[in-house]
Amino acid sequence: MRHRSAVREVSLDLVTIAVLFLLLVPILWVFVASVRPETDITGGGLLPTRFTFDHYAAILAKKPFLIALKNSLIVGITVAIITTALAMPAAYALSRFTFHGRNFFALLILGTQMLPSLAVLVPLVVIVRQIGLTNTLTALIFTHLALGMPIAVWMLKGYIDAIPKELEEAALIDGCSRLGALWRIVVPLIRPAIIAVGTFAFVLSWGEYLMALALISKSDVKTLPLALQGLFDPYSFSWGQVMAGGTIIAMPAILLFLIFRRQLVGGLLAGGVKG
Amino acid sequence: MAFETTTRLAPARPRRRSIVPDFLLPYGMIGPAVFVAFAIAIVPLTYALWLSLQDWYMLRRPTPTFGGLINYKQLLQDGPLWAAFGRTWIWTIGTVFVELVLALPIALLLNRESAVARAASALILLPWVTPFIVLGFGWRFLLDSDVGPIHALLHAIGLAGDSSILNDPVGAFAIIIFISGWKGTPFLVIALLAALKSIPDELYEAAEVDGAGPVSRFIHVTLPEIWNTAITVGLVLGILAFYSFDLPWIMTKGGPQDATTIVGIAMYKAVFLDLRPAYAAAISIVMLVLLFIASLFVLKLRRRS
Repeated sequence: MRHRSAVREVSLDLVTIAVLFLLLVPILWVFVASVRPETDITGGGLLPTRFTFDHYAAILAKKPFLIALKNSLIVGITVAIITTALAMPAAYALSRFTFHGRNFFALLILGTQMLPSLAVLVPLVVIVRQIGLTNTLTALIFTHLALGMPIAVWMLKGYIDAIPKELEEAALIDGCSRLGALWRIVVPLIRPAIIAVGTFAFVLSWGEYLMALALISKSDVKTLPLALQGLFDPYSFSWGQVMAGGTIIAMPAILLFLIFRRQLVGGLLAGGVKG
Repeated sequence: MAFETTTRLAPARPRRRSIVPDFLLPYGMIGPAVFVAFAIAIVPLTYALWLSLQDWYMLRRPTPTFGGLINYKQLLQDGPLWAAFGRTWIWTIGTVFVELVLALPIALLLNRESAVARAASALILLPWVTPFIVLGFGWRFLLDSDVGPIHALLHAIGLAGDSSILNDPVGAFAIIIFISGWKGTPFLVIALLAALKSIPDELYEAAEVDGAGPVSRFIHVTLPEIWNTAITVGLVLGILAFYSFDLPWIMTKGGPQDATTIVGIAMYKAVFLDLRPAYAAAISIVMLVLLFIASLFVLKLRRRS
């Protein structure tokens, strides 16, 4: 709103900073603890005395953690690629064609977004068990597709809607096929959105806990969230190491989100999203 | 590109033809995504319904047999389960309450053009994008009776004794509800902020001309304009809260003494500890039905425009 004094603006800014700090301090504390010496943490002081990467070195020397890191990368990257590859043509079809059942399909895809993992957990676990895919990354990848795909379709559709049809029509007249036009005209134009969508799918899979917990019990197929849980070793347990592991899980999510915030926020609001 | 050869431009082709006839093309394009949605939503939900009608206690028999309504009959008499349902409503309403109470003032605070407000509306999303597993362990650390600074704070103001608040049934439930609300707050802030920014300045000017003070302007202009956003997003967040599992499981595994056992945890235990998947499926069907009814009531709260 208009006519507000400078003093008022500055004091509101200060309040904003204070509120933001209070909201974020629990997360900051995780990061800080991950670079503090263990004696510092158990000592209970608020200010770190020394900066150290010991905790990171310690967990990266643990074989189960490294295996989990690898598994999480495999699952996350596969999920990102498949999600984008499925969402892009679907979004294009919803944006450009009118066809029988279009609204039904749109509703079905968006409806999946509103369905929490827990609502389909029991049947999925039983199905996966009966087809013998328990303790495989394949099963996990498949269930993780549901995390990001609906929102991916929705966001990409919005971006495609904004591209003038004339561009593709020109390409079609020049002898391009419909799919050729999609690949050569549409995809290059919305590349940032495509990357954002893939990133988002990766991040959701990277931190996913419930499905992994339900489908995976063997250590060679565990993902990072499960490995983090495994760090609670009753004999040699270190808060610093758990927080370092937590930071490794949180960082990609936070960084990628801040980078692609502009592309993602609109989509988040449009579809609501699994937290 | 290989197919960009001279044959493609041959004059013998009056119309462009592809391998798939045109009317099938949209189905081919949307098909894979629909298949995934089908396999991950419709199939499991249908299967859950079928499963809930089976008699299947895995310790007794390896395969399900038809049991009719046996699970639902047991479910109606399952006291601890209904206690968990009761907790889940408190949890859901509590979470959304915390979200509304925190998000509304913050959204009003961020609805300014300053650089700080803009940076803050980006950074505020951190709790929302940080995975539960990290937040859960982070808060366990913060509330730990030996090393947690927030435990020290709660101890100092008398809310926690010598052991962590997570060991106290009432305290644990309350604090985890708060954490659940804290995690969801940013989402509501961003939604409310978008709604606030779309209110035309003229409405405020008109109210000012009519002599309305800040409080009256908030009640008569701001609140009605953001009401529907708050209800809709509140419902989305409420559904997510109703289906919570990660946070209470990571923090307390449903304890102490079932104090944080919400339905999600009861259902998980029914499958993985009691080995009764059919019973768990019945629980998930009942959850769906109750949630559907509750959602209809919430949607009634929306203002007609």
